[in-house]
Amino acid sequence: MRGLAATLPWLALAGAALPAVAAPGNDPLAWLQRAADSARTTTFAGTVVHMTGERTSTSRITHIFLSGSEHEKIESLDGPRREIVRHNEDLQCYYPDAKTVRLDRRVTARFFPAVVAGPVASIAENYTVKLGEVERVLGQDCRWIHLDPRDALRYAQRLCAELGSGLVMRARTLSRKGQVIEQFTFTDLRMGPHVSRGEVKSTFYGQSKDWRTDTQPRDEVKEVDTGWTVTALPPGFRKVKEMARRMPGRDKPVSQIVYTDGVASFSVFVEPVAAGARVAESTQTEEGDLSVFVGPVGESQVTVLGEVPPATAQQVGRSVARRP
Amino acid sequence: MTQELSTLMDGELDAHEAERAIRTVCGNEELKQKWHDYHVIGDALRGDGPGRTALSRRIMAALEEEPTVLAPKRRIPVNAGRIAFAAAASVATVAVVGWMGLQQGRVPENGPAMAKGSPAAQPAALASTTQPAHVNEYLVVHRQLPNADFYRPVSNTAAAGR
Repeated sequence: MRGLAATLPWLALAGAALPAVAAPGNDPLAWLQRAADSARTTTFAGTVVHMTGERTSTSRITHIFLSGSEHEKIESLDGPRREIVRHNEDLQCYYPDAKTVRLDRRVTARFFPAVVAGPVASIAENYTVKLGEVERVLGQDCRWIHLDPRDALRYAQRLCAELGSGLVMRARTLSRKGQVIEQFTFTDLRMGPHVSRGEVKSTFYGQSKDWRTDTQPRDEVKEVDTGWTVTALPPGFRKVKEMARRMPGRDKPVSQIVYTDGVASFSVFVEPVAAGARVAESTQTEEGDLSVFVGPVGESQVTVLGEVPPATAQQVGRSVARRP
Repeated sequence: MTQELSTLMDGELDAHEAERAIRTVCGNEELKQKWHDYHVIGDALRGDGPGRTALSRRIMAALEEEPTVLAPKRRIPVNAGRIAFAAAASVATVAVVGWMGLQQGRVPENGPAMAKGSPAAQPAALASTTQPAHVNEYLVVHRQLPNADFYRPVSNTAAAGR
Protein backbone atom coordinates (compact mmCIF):
# COMPACT_ATOMS: atom_id res chain seq x y z
CA MET A 1 0.00 0.00 0.00
CA ARG A 2 2.84 2.33 0.78
CA GLY A 3 4.16 2.00 -2.74
CA LEU A 4 0.83 2.90 -4.23
CA ALA A 5 0.43 5.94 -2.04
CA ALA A 6 3.82 7.19 -3.11
CA THR A 7 3.11 6.64 -6.79
CA LEU A 8 -0.27 8.33 -7.07
CA PRO A 9 0.72 11.95 -6.46
CA TRP A 10 3.72 11.45 -8.68
CA LEU A 11 1.48 10.50 -11.59
CA ALA A 12 -0.91 13.34 -10.91
CA LEU A 13 1.84 15.92 -10.88
CA ALA A 14 4.18 14.77 -13.55
CA GLY A 15 1.51 13.98 -16.11
CA ALA A 16 2.82 13.89 -19.65
CA ALA A 17 6.18 15.48 -18.88
CA LEU A 18 7.58 12.49 -17.07
CA PRO A 19 10.85 12.97 -15.29
CA ALA A 20 13.11 10.00 -15.85
CA VAL A 21 13.74 9.62 -12.14
CA ALA A 22 12.18 7.16 -9.75
CA ALA A 23 11.19 7.79 -6.14
CA PRO A 24 14.47 7.54 -4.27
CA GLY A 25 13.61 5.78 -1.00
CA ASN A 26 15.72 6.79 1.97
CA ASP A 27 19.06 7.50 0.35
CA PRO A 28 19.86 11.21 0.91
CA LEU A 29 22.24 11.33 -2.04
CA ALA A 30 19.57 9.89 -4.34
CA TRP A 31 17.22 12.66 -3.16
CA LEU A 32 19.88 15.25 -3.83
CA GLN A 33 20.58 13.85 -7.27
CA ARG A 34 16.89 13.87 -8.07
CA ALA A 35 16.60 17.48 -6.88
CA ALA A 36 19.44 18.41 -9.24
CA ASP A 37 17.98 16.42 -12.15
CA SER A 38 14.40 17.58 -11.79
CA ALA A 39 15.37 21.26 -12.04
CA ARG A 40 16.70 20.38 -15.48
CA THR A 41 14.40 17.64 -16.74
CA THR A 42 10.94 18.61 -15.54
CA THR A 43 8.57 21.19 -16.98
CA PHE A 44 7.23 23.81 -14.63
CA ALA A 45 6.23 27.46 -14.32
CA GLY A 46 5.91 29.54 -11.20
CA THR A 47 6.61 32.70 -9.26
CA VAL A 48 9.80 32.72 -7.22
CA VAL A 49 10.49 34.99 -4.28
CA HIS A 50 14.15 35.46 -3.45
CA MET A 51 15.11 36.89 -0.08
CA THR A 52 18.61 37.74 0.97
CA GLY A 53 19.07 39.58 4.22
CA GLU A 54 16.10 41.91 4.22
CA ARG A 55 16.05 42.37 0.45
CA THR A 56 13.49 40.66 -1.65
CA SER A 57 12.90 40.23 -5.33
CA THR A 58 10.24 38.41 -7.27
CA SER A 59 10.55 36.75 -10.64
CA ARG A 60 8.59 34.37 -12.79
CA ILE A 61 10.29 31.27 -14.12
CA THR A 62 9.06 29.03 -16.90
CA HIS A 63 11.05 25.90 -17.66
CA ILE A 64 10.41 23.38 -20.40
CA PHE A 65 12.37 20.22 -21.07
CA LEU A 66 11.90 19.08 -24.63
CA SER A 67 13.86 16.53 -26.70
CA GLY A 68 16.75 16.62 -24.27
CA SER A 69 16.98 20.43 -24.31
CA GLU A 70 16.21 23.00 -21.65
CA HIS A 71 14.20 26.08 -22.54
CA GLU A 72 13.70 28.62 -19.82
CA LYS A 73 12.35 32.11 -19.38
CA ILE A 74 12.95 34.27 -16.33
CA GLU A 75 11.10 37.54 -15.98
CA SER A 76 11.84 40.09 -13.30
CA LEU A 77 8.62 41.22 -11.65
CA ASP A 78 10.23 44.01 -9.63
CA GLY A 79 11.98 47.08 -10.93
CA PRO A 80 12.70 47.61 -14.61
CA ARG A 81 11.30 44.98 -16.98
CA ARG A 82 13.84 42.47 -18.20
CA GLU A 83 13.83 38.89 -19.30
CA ILE A 84 16.30 36.10 -19.72
CA VAL A 85 15.53 33.38 -22.21
CA ARG A 86 17.82 30.40 -21.89
CA HIS A 87 18.32 27.52 -24.29
CA ASN A 88 20.68 25.12 -22.53
CA GLU A 89 23.78 27.29 -21.90
CA ASP A 90 22.87 30.16 -24.25
CA LEU A 91 21.34 33.20 -22.61
CA GLN A 92 19.43 36.00 -24.28
CA CYS A 93 18.79 38.94 -21.98
CA TYR A 94 16.07 41.34 -23.10
CA TYR A 95 16.15 44.96 -21.93
CA PRO A 96 13.04 46.67 -23.30
CA ASP A 97 14.02 50.06 -21.83
CA ALA A 98 17.32 50.05 -23.70
CA LYS A 99 15.90 48.15 -26.68
CA THR A 100 18.77 45.73 -26.44
CA VAL A 101 19.21 41.98 -26.47
CA ARG A 102 22.38 40.84 -24.76
CA LEU A 103 23.78 37.45 -25.65
CA ASP A 104 25.65 35.56 -22.98
CA ARG A 105 26.68 32.06 -22.07
CA ARG A 106 25.82 30.60 -18.72
CA VAL A 107 28.77 30.24 -16.39
CA THR A 108 27.66 31.14 -12.89
CA ALA A 109 24.03 32.03 -13.56
CA ARG A 110 22.19 29.78 -11.18
CA PHE A 111 18.49 30.17 -11.08
CA PHE A 112 16.32 28.53 -8.49
CA PRO A 113 15.25 25.68 -8.38
CA ALA A 114 18.62 24.64 -9.89
CA VAL A 115 20.47 25.12 -6.61
CA VAL A 116 22.91 22.24 -6.81
CA ALA A 117 25.07 21.22 -9.74
CA GLY A 118 27.64 18.62 -10.54
CA PRO A 119 28.07 15.09 -9.22
CA VAL A 120 26.41 14.66 -5.83
CA ALA A 121 29.20 12.35 -4.69
CA SER A 122 31.64 15.26 -4.75
CA ILE A 123 29.12 17.46 -2.92
CA ALA A 124 28.94 14.76 -0.23
CA GLU A 125 32.69 15.06 0.27
CA ASN A 126 32.18 18.57 1.64
CA TYR A 127 28.66 18.44 3.02
CA THR A 128 26.91 15.90 5.26
CA VAL A 129 23.68 15.12 3.41
CA LYS A 130 20.69 14.00 5.48
CA LEU A 131 16.96 13.71 4.99
CA GLY A 132 14.68 15.87 7.13
CA GLU A 133 10.97 16.14 7.72
CA VAL A 134 8.19 16.04 5.18
CA GLU A 135 6.45 19.40 5.09
CA ARG A 136 3.54 20.78 3.13
CA VAL A 137 4.54 23.65 0.84
CA LEU A 138 2.07 25.26 -1.58
CA GLY A 139 -0.25 22.34 -1.09
CA GLN A 140 2.42 19.77 -2.02
CA ASP A 141 4.32 17.42 0.25
CA CYS A 142 8.04 18.15 0.27
CA ARG A 143 10.97 16.35 1.81
CA TRP A 144 13.66 18.51 3.37
CA ILE A 145 17.22 17.66 2.39
CA HIS A 146 19.87 18.97 4.80
CA LEU A 147 23.34 19.86 3.59
CA ASP A 148 25.65 20.64 6.49
CA PRO A 149 29.22 21.66 5.65
CA ARG A 150 32.06 19.51 6.94
CA ASP A 151 34.18 22.64 7.50
CA ALA A 152 33.63 26.32 8.30
CA LEU A 153 34.32 27.42 4.74
CA ARG A 154 30.78 27.16 3.37
CA TYR A 155 27.18 27.63 4.50
CA ALA A 156 24.57 25.00 5.34
CA GLN A 157 21.72 24.51 2.88
CA ARG A 158 18.16 23.26 3.28
CA LEU A 159 16.25 22.12 0.21
CA CYS A 160 12.61 21.10 0.21
CA ALA A 161 12.04 18.65 -2.66
CA GLU A 162 8.53 17.84 -3.82
CA LEU A 163 7.92 14.14 -3.19
CA GLY A 164 6.59 13.27 -6.62
CA SER A 165 8.93 15.08 -8.99
CA GLY A 166 11.89 15.90 -6.75
CA LEU A 167 11.63 19.58 -7.76
CA VAL A 168 12.98 21.93 -5.10
CA MET A 169 10.12 24.15 -3.97
CA ARG A 170 11.98 26.02 -1.26
CA ALA A 171 15.70 26.49 -0.59
CA ARG A 172 17.39 28.13 2.38
CA THR A 173 20.95 29.06 3.18
CA LEU A 174 21.78 29.09 6.87
CA SER A 175 24.43 31.06 8.72
CA ARG A 176 26.73 29.24 11.11
CA LYS A 177 24.31 30.21 13.86
CA GLY A 178 21.50 28.49 11.98
CA GLN A 179 19.74 31.67 10.87
CA VAL A 180 18.20 31.84 7.41
CA ILE A 181 20.34 34.28 5.44
CA GLU A 182 18.96 33.52 2.00
CA GLN A 183 15.78 31.92 0.80
CA PHE A 184 14.19 31.05 -2.50
CA THR A 185 10.60 29.89 -2.56
CA PHE A 186 7.91 29.28 -5.11
CA THR A 187 4.74 31.16 -4.29
CA ASP A 188 2.81 29.45 -7.05
CA LEU A 189 3.71 26.55 -9.28
CA ARG A 190 2.29 24.75 -12.28
CA MET A 191 3.84 21.54 -13.51
CA GLY A 192 4.02 19.30 -16.54
CA PRO A 193 1.12 19.46 -18.97
CA HIS A 194 -0.16 22.71 -17.47
CA VAL A 195 2.75 24.58 -19.05
CA SER A 196 2.60 25.26 -22.77
CA ARG A 197 5.57 25.53 -25.08
CA GLY A 198 4.88 29.10 -26.15
CA GLU A 199 5.38 30.30 -22.60
CA VAL A 200 9.17 30.18 -22.81
CA LYS A 201 9.28 32.57 -25.75
CA SER A 202 10.29 36.08 -24.83
CA THR A 203 7.49 38.56 -24.35
CA PHE A 204 9.60 40.92 -26.42
CA TYR A 205 10.40 38.48 -29.20
CA GLY A 206 8.33 40.25 -31.85
CA GLN A 207 9.38 43.82 -31.10
CA SER A 208 13.03 42.93 -30.48
CA LYS A 209 13.73 42.53 -34.21
CA ASP A 210 14.76 46.19 -34.36
CA TRP A 211 16.68 46.14 -31.12
CA ARG A 212 20.41 46.27 -30.77
CA THR A 213 22.22 42.99 -30.15
CA ASP A 214 25.16 43.04 -27.76
CA THR A 215 27.33 39.95 -28.13
CA GLN A 216 30.15 41.18 -25.91
CA PRO A 217 29.24 39.16 -22.78
CA ARG A 218 29.04 35.94 -24.81
CA ASP A 219 32.33 36.59 -26.55
CA GLU A 220 34.06 37.31 -23.26
CA VAL A 221 33.31 34.01 -21.57
CA LYS A 222 35.75 32.18 -23.82
CA GLU A 223 38.35 30.36 -21.78
CA VAL A 224 41.63 32.26 -21.46
CA ASP A 225 44.73 31.88 -19.33
CA THR A 226 44.69 34.90 -17.03
CA GLY A 227 48.02 33.97 -15.46
CA TRP A 228 46.47 34.09 -11.97
CA THR A 229 45.79 31.25 -9.58
CA VAL A 230 44.54 30.62 -6.03
CA THR A 231 47.18 28.81 -3.99
CA ALA A 232 45.08 28.13 -0.88
CA LEU A 233 41.86 26.95 -2.50
CA PRO A 234 39.38 25.52 0.05
CA PRO A 235 38.87 21.75 -0.42
CA GLY A 236 36.15 20.73 -2.85
CA PHE A 237 36.16 23.93 -4.87
CA ARG A 238 37.11 23.46 -8.49
CA LYS A 239 37.71 25.95 -11.26
CA VAL A 240 34.76 26.33 -13.60
CA LYS A 241 35.99 29.03 -15.93
CA GLU A 242 38.73 31.58 -16.45
CA MET A 243 37.89 34.69 -18.47
CA ALA A 244 38.93 38.21 -19.39
CA ARG A 245 36.08 40.68 -18.90
CA ARG A 246 35.85 44.15 -20.27
CA MET A 247 34.17 46.37 -17.71
CA PRO A 248 32.65 49.82 -18.11
CA GLY A 249 35.12 52.63 -17.54
CA ARG A 250 38.21 50.42 -17.59
CA ASP A 251 40.88 50.39 -20.28
CA LYS A 252 42.16 46.93 -19.55
CA PRO A 253 40.18 43.73 -19.19
CA VAL A 254 39.55 42.32 -15.73
CA SER A 255 40.52 38.70 -15.08
CA GLN A 256 37.74 36.56 -13.65
CA ILE A 257 38.17 33.01 -12.36
CA VAL A 258 35.07 31.15 -11.16
CA TYR A 259 35.11 28.34 -8.60
CA THR A 260 32.31 26.14 -7.26
CA ASP A 261 31.87 23.20 -4.91
CA GLY A 262 28.59 22.23 -6.58
CA VAL A 263 26.55 24.27 -4.11
CA ALA A 264 28.38 27.54 -3.43
CA SER A 265 30.44 29.55 -5.88
CA PHE A 266 32.74 32.54 -5.88
CA SER A 267 34.52 34.66 -8.46
CA VAL A 268 38.07 35.96 -8.17
CA PHE A 269 38.60 39.25 -10.03
CA VAL A 270 42.06 40.70 -10.64
CA GLU A 271 42.56 44.11 -12.21
CA PRO A 272 45.57 46.38 -12.53
CA VAL A 273 45.55 49.54 -10.43
CA ALA A 274 47.05 52.89 -11.41
CA ALA A 275 50.74 53.34 -10.63
CA GLY A 276 51.25 54.57 -7.09
CA ALA A 277 47.75 53.67 -5.94
CA ARG A 278 47.43 51.57 -2.82
CA VAL A 279 44.77 48.97 -2.20
CA ALA A 280 43.84 48.49 1.44
CA GLU A 281 42.65 45.05 2.48
CA SER A 282 39.06 44.68 3.56
CA THR A 283 36.56 41.87 4.02
CA GLN A 284 32.88 42.56 4.04
CA THR A 285 29.82 40.41 4.37
CA GLU A 286 26.44 41.40 3.06
CA GLU A 287 23.30 40.78 5.08
CA GLY A 288 22.67 37.68 3.03
CA ASP A 289 25.17 35.01 2.08
CA LEU A 290 27.39 37.24 -0.03
CA SER A 291 30.96 37.99 1.06
CA VAL A 292 33.46 40.30 -0.55
CA PHE A 293 37.20 40.50 -0.04
CA VAL A 294 39.29 43.29 -1.56
CA GLY A 295 43.07 43.27 -1.31
CA PRO A 296 46.32 43.98 -3.11
CA VAL A 297 48.51 41.56 -5.04
CA GLY A 298 51.57 43.20 -6.56
CA GLU A 299 50.40 46.09 -8.74
CA SER A 300 46.89 44.64 -8.96
CA GLN A 301 43.72 44.59 -6.97
CA VAL A 302 42.04 41.31 -6.06
CA THR A 303 38.30 41.12 -5.40
CA VAL A 304 36.75 37.86 -4.24
CA LEU A 305 32.97 37.81 -4.30
CA GLY A 306 30.65 34.90 -3.69
CA GLU A 307 28.09 33.02 -1.64
CA VAL A 308 30.61 31.87 0.96
CA PRO A 309 31.51 32.90 4.53
CA PRO A 310 33.84 35.94 4.79
CA ALA A 311 36.70 33.74 6.05
CA THR A 312 36.58 31.77 2.79
CA ALA A 313 36.68 34.92 0.65
CA GLN A 314 39.60 36.15 2.73
CA GLN A 315 41.55 32.87 2.52
CA VAL A 316 41.09 32.82 -1.25
CA GLY A 317 41.86 36.51 -1.76
CA ARG A 318 45.06 36.44 0.27
CA SER A 319 46.37 33.46 -1.68
CA VAL A 320 45.92 34.84 -5.20
CA ALA A 321 49.27 34.70 -6.99
CA ARG A 322 50.84 34.70 -10.43
CA ARG A 323 50.85 31.21 -11.86
CA PRO A 324 54.42 29.90 -11.75
CA MET B 1 2.51 53.14 -5.89
CA THR B 2 4.77 50.32 -4.72
CA GLN B 3 6.04 52.46 -1.90
CA GLU B 4 2.51 53.44 -0.94
CA LEU B 5 1.62 49.77 -0.86
CA SER B 6 4.34 48.97 1.62
CA THR B 7 3.47 52.01 3.71
CA LEU B 8 -0.08 50.72 3.71
CA MET B 9 1.17 47.35 4.92
CA ASP B 10 3.00 49.14 7.70
CA GLY B 11 -0.27 50.75 8.70
CA GLU B 12 1.36 54.13 8.41
CA LEU B 13 -1.08 55.77 6.01
CA ASP B 14 -3.83 57.91 7.50
CA ALA B 15 -7.42 56.86 6.95
CA HIS B 16 -7.90 59.05 3.89
CA GLU B 17 -4.65 57.98 2.22
CA ALA B 18 -5.32 54.34 3.08
CA GLU B 19 -8.77 54.44 1.53
CA ARG B 20 -7.37 55.95 -1.65
CA ALA B 21 -4.51 53.46 -1.81
CA ILE B 22 -6.85 50.52 -1.26
CA ARG B 23 -9.17 51.73 -4.00
CA THR B 24 -6.23 51.97 -6.39
CA VAL B 25 -4.98 48.51 -5.44
CA CYS B 26 -8.39 46.90 -5.83
CA GLY B 27 -8.84 48.40 -9.26
CA ASN B 28 -5.55 47.09 -10.60
CA GLU B 29 -4.77 43.42 -11.10
CA GLU B 30 -1.01 43.95 -11.01
CA LEU B 31 -1.17 45.80 -7.70
CA LYS B 32 -3.52 43.21 -6.27
CA GLN B 33 -1.00 40.54 -7.14
CA LYS B 34 1.76 42.63 -5.59
CA TRP B 35 -0.24 43.08 -2.40
CA HIS B 36 -0.72 39.35 -2.26
CA ASP B 37 2.96 38.73 -2.99
CA TYR B 38 4.00 41.04 -0.18
CA HIS B 39 1.95 39.05 2.25
CA VAL B 40 3.35 35.78 0.97
CA ILE B 41 6.83 37.26 1.27
CA GLY B 42 6.19 38.31 4.83
CA ASP B 43 4.69 34.94 5.66
CA ALA B 44 7.50 33.04 4.04
CA LEU B 45 10.12 35.09 5.82
CA ARG B 46 8.52 34.47 9.15
CA GLY B 47 8.59 30.77 8.24
CA ASP B 48 4.82 30.44 8.15
CA GLY B 49 3.33 27.79 5.93
CA PRO B 50 0.69 27.78 3.23
CA GLY B 51 -1.98 28.41 5.83
CA ARG B 52 -0.82 31.99 6.01
CA THR B 53 -0.83 32.26 2.25
CA ALA B 54 -4.45 31.27 2.27
CA LEU B 55 -5.03 33.86 4.97
CA SER B 56 -3.60 36.63 2.85
CA ARG B 57 -5.91 35.59 0.00
CA ARG B 58 -8.85 35.85 2.36
CA ILE B 59 -7.68 39.26 3.42
CA MET B 60 -7.48 40.26 -0.23
CA ALA B 61 -11.02 39.04 -0.78
CA ALA B 62 -12.21 40.85 2.31
CA LEU B 63 -10.49 44.00 1.13
CA GLU B 64 -12.46 43.93 -2.06
CA GLU B 65 -15.70 43.79 -0.14
CA GLU B 66 -14.99 46.02 2.78
CA PRO B 67 -11.79 47.92 2.12
CA THR B 68 -11.99 50.79 4.57
CA VAL B 69 -13.05 48.68 7.50
CA LEU B 70 -10.41 46.03 7.33
CA ALA B 71 -7.31 47.69 6.02
CA PRO B 72 -6.51 50.27 8.68
CA LYS B 73 -6.84 47.58 11.33
CA ARG B 74 -4.46 45.24 9.56
CA ARG B 75 -1.28 45.48 11.55
CA ILE B 76 1.87 44.01 10.05
CA PRO B 77 4.98 43.59 12.16
CA VAL B 78 7.44 46.37 11.44
CA ASN B 79 10.01 44.17 9.74
CA ALA B 80 7.46 42.77 7.30
CA GLY B 81 6.81 46.30 6.09
CA ARG B 82 10.47 46.85 5.54
CA ILE B 83 10.63 43.65 3.56
CA ALA B 84 7.74 44.74 1.42
CA PHE B 85 9.52 48.00 0.77
CA ALA B 86 12.66 46.15 -0.15
CA ALA B 87 10.72 44.06 -2.64
CA ALA B 88 10.96 46.94 -5.07
CA ALA B 89 14.72 46.64 -5.18
CA SER B 90 16.27 44.15 -7.53
CA VAL B 91 18.86 41.62 -6.50
CA ALA B 92 21.38 43.48 -8.58
CA THR B 93 21.18 46.57 -6.43
CA VAL B 94 21.91 44.45 -3.40
CA ALA B 95 25.35 45.88 -2.84
CA VAL B 96 24.46 49.57 -3.05
CA VAL B 97 23.73 49.78 0.64
CA GLY B 98 26.21 48.58 3.18
CA TRP B 99 29.51 49.22 1.52
CA MET B 100 30.44 52.20 3.61
CA GLY B 101 33.10 50.23 5.43
CA LEU B 102 34.52 48.98 2.20
CA GLN B 103 34.57 52.42 0.64
CA GLN B 104 36.98 53.61 3.27
CA GLY B 105 39.40 50.88 2.39
CA ARG B 106 40.27 51.73 -1.17
CA VAL B 107 42.18 54.54 -2.73
CA PRO B 108 40.54 55.69 -5.95
CA GLU B 109 42.65 54.78 -8.93
CA ASN B 110 41.50 57.74 -10.96
CA GLY B 111 43.10 60.32 -8.68
CA PRO B 112 46.86 60.01 -8.32
CA ALA B 113 46.98 62.99 -5.96
CA MET B 114 44.33 61.38 -3.81
CA ALA B 115 46.27 58.17 -3.71
CA LYS B 116 48.89 59.72 -1.50
CA GLY B 117 46.35 60.89 1.04
CA SER B 118 44.97 58.73 3.78
CA PRO B 119 41.79 56.86 2.86
CA ALA B 120 39.90 58.61 5.63
CA ALA B 121 40.67 61.98 4.06
CA GLN B 122 38.88 61.15 0.83
CA PRO B 123 35.86 63.22 0.02
CA ALA B 124 32.85 61.04 0.73
CA ALA B 125 31.28 61.71 -2.65
CA LEU B 126 34.29 60.45 -4.54
CA ALA B 127 34.58 57.36 -2.39
CA SER B 128 30.93 56.50 -2.76
CA THR B 129 31.03 56.72 -6.54
CA THR B 130 34.13 54.55 -6.77
CA GLN B 131 33.59 51.61 -4.47
CA PRO B 132 29.96 50.59 -4.91
CA ALA B 133 30.28 50.69 -8.68
CA HIS B 134 33.29 48.41 -8.53
CA VAL B 135 31.61 45.84 -6.30
CA ASN B 136 28.21 46.11 -7.94
CA GLU B 137 29.64 45.51 -11.37
CA TYR B 138 31.49 42.47 -10.12
CA LEU B 139 28.34 41.18 -8.45
CA VAL B 140 26.42 41.53 -11.68
CA VAL B 141 29.19 39.75 -13.58
CA HIS B 142 29.49 37.02 -10.96
CA ARG B 143 25.79 36.22 -10.92
CA GLN B 144 25.22 37.05 -14.60
CA LEU B 145 22.28 39.12 -13.53
CA PRO B 146 19.97 40.74 -16.03
CA ASN B 147 20.59 44.17 -14.61
CA ALA B 148 19.55 47.05 -16.81
CA ASP B 149 21.89 49.38 -14.91
CA PHE B 150 24.77 47.33 -16.18
CA TYR B 151 23.60 47.53 -19.75
CA ARG B 152 26.55 48.62 -21.87
CA PRO B 153 25.90 50.46 -25.07
CA VAL B 154 28.18 48.75 -27.55
CA SER B 155 29.15 51.91 -29.38
CA ASN B 156 29.58 54.13 -26.37
CA THR B 157 31.34 52.48 -23.46
CA ALA B 158 32.26 55.82 -21.94
CA ALA B 159 28.63 56.61 -21.25
CA ALA B 160 28.20 53.32 -19.48
CA GLY B 161 31.25 53.96 -17.37
CA ARG B 162 29.32 56.17 -14.99
